[in-house]
Amino acid sequence: MTQHVTARLHAYHDGELSDHQRRQVDTHLAQCEACRAELETLRQLTALLHQAAAAPTITSPDRFVAQVGLRLPRRPAEPAWQRVLKVGWRLTPVGLLGAWAFLQAAFLVSGILLGALYLGLGSETWAGLLPASGSGSWLAQALSLSDASLSDIGQVGAQLLRGGGPLGWGVTLNRASSVLIGLLYLSWLASWWASRQHRPGLIKTGSF
Amino acid sequence: MNTDPATAADRELEIIAQAQQGDRRAFGELVRRHRKGVVNVVYRLCGNANLAEDAAQEAFIRAWQHLPSYRPRSPFRNWVYRIATNAARDVLRRERETVDVDAISVPASNGNPEAALETTERSRTVQQAVLALPPASREVLVLREYENLSYQEIADTLNIPIGTVMSRLNYARGKLRQSLAPYFQEEL
Repeated sequence: MTQHVTARLHAYHDGELSDHQRRQVDTHLAQCEACRAELETLRQLTALLHQAAAAPTITSPDRFVAQVGLRLPRRPAEPAWQRVLKVGWRLTPVGLLGAWAFLQAAFLVSGILLGALYLGLGSETWAGLLPASGSGSWLAQALSLSDASLSDIGQVGAQLLRGGGPLGWGVTLNRASSVLIGLLYLSWLASWWASRQHRPGLIKTGSF
Repeated sequence: MNTDPATAADRELEIIAQAQQGDRRAFGELVRRHRKGVVNVVYRLCGNANLAEDAAQEAFIRAWQHLPSYRPRSPFRNWVYRIATNAARDVLRRERETVDVDAISVPASNGNPEAALETTERSRTVQQAVLALPPASREVLVLREYENLSYQEIADTLNIPIGTVMSRLNYARGKLRQSLAPYFQEEL
């Protein structure tokens, strides 16, 4: 005979075992009278418990609902931090758009300023902000690669990285920030769409 | 009329979402749906019908107040049962002296008076035995035997590990087998 399954009988009785475990217990029960008696006691106990009367109805359901309605505070108490979070969540697209517009404006202004300085429209004082000729031009560096040794190529690569890549830091930052803002907006949009899936319809219930 | 369980669950989610936005009529519908279960849970835990109704109302008011924080990851029924068990504990603390298990009302049955008397007596004895259990074991037993919650649902409702659910249930059943032994002997 297999080992007794006393420890599993409660879970068996409550329907909490997996199919495999249930089959194991079934197999044991078929050949063990003691465990069958134990299970029968559990079943009798459940049946006995259900002989205890349920709660008598003192207040009718309609009256109960009305009484609860009268005792309800005006609105569910929503913590202040939750309200702030909710407003912030709704304003997220506006914030992202504002951040993008600000960055674009900053890049545009700095581009115009640098362009003007390159053209010699700025004063000599401002011209000091420009990169030194030769070392700042990725194109000039790339063209000089034909005569360069391998170590020179490494140096030019490092120089390019220091300069923010072939497009320069300005354009790289511009693109990266635009992509980041775009991703954040798409994430927000996906969350908003998911939350709309359970948007409640109108219900018509009795008075409350 | 039969209703598809999935449709009924979706419908309840809609009602909950409306109630979360402050719709009192939607909340009234939730109260109507869960009144019986909540009153029964509290009644089984405290043994007094009047106190059970008061505690059930209190539980629904707390549910309304905390409804914005409810997330439908677990059934609304289990969430409101958690509040109801807390309300029952409060009632038992407040009314410890006034809960009279001998005054438990049992519906009268038609037919043989002797059989009715026996049924009444048995019902009262069973309720007294349940009420004599330690509160922690009683809560687990009531949610399992009367509300048919799974072990995991009971663990979530009472915020205890599933192993504790099993040990409390075994303990409660063991105690009841002792206190209700005469009835077992009759039937075995």
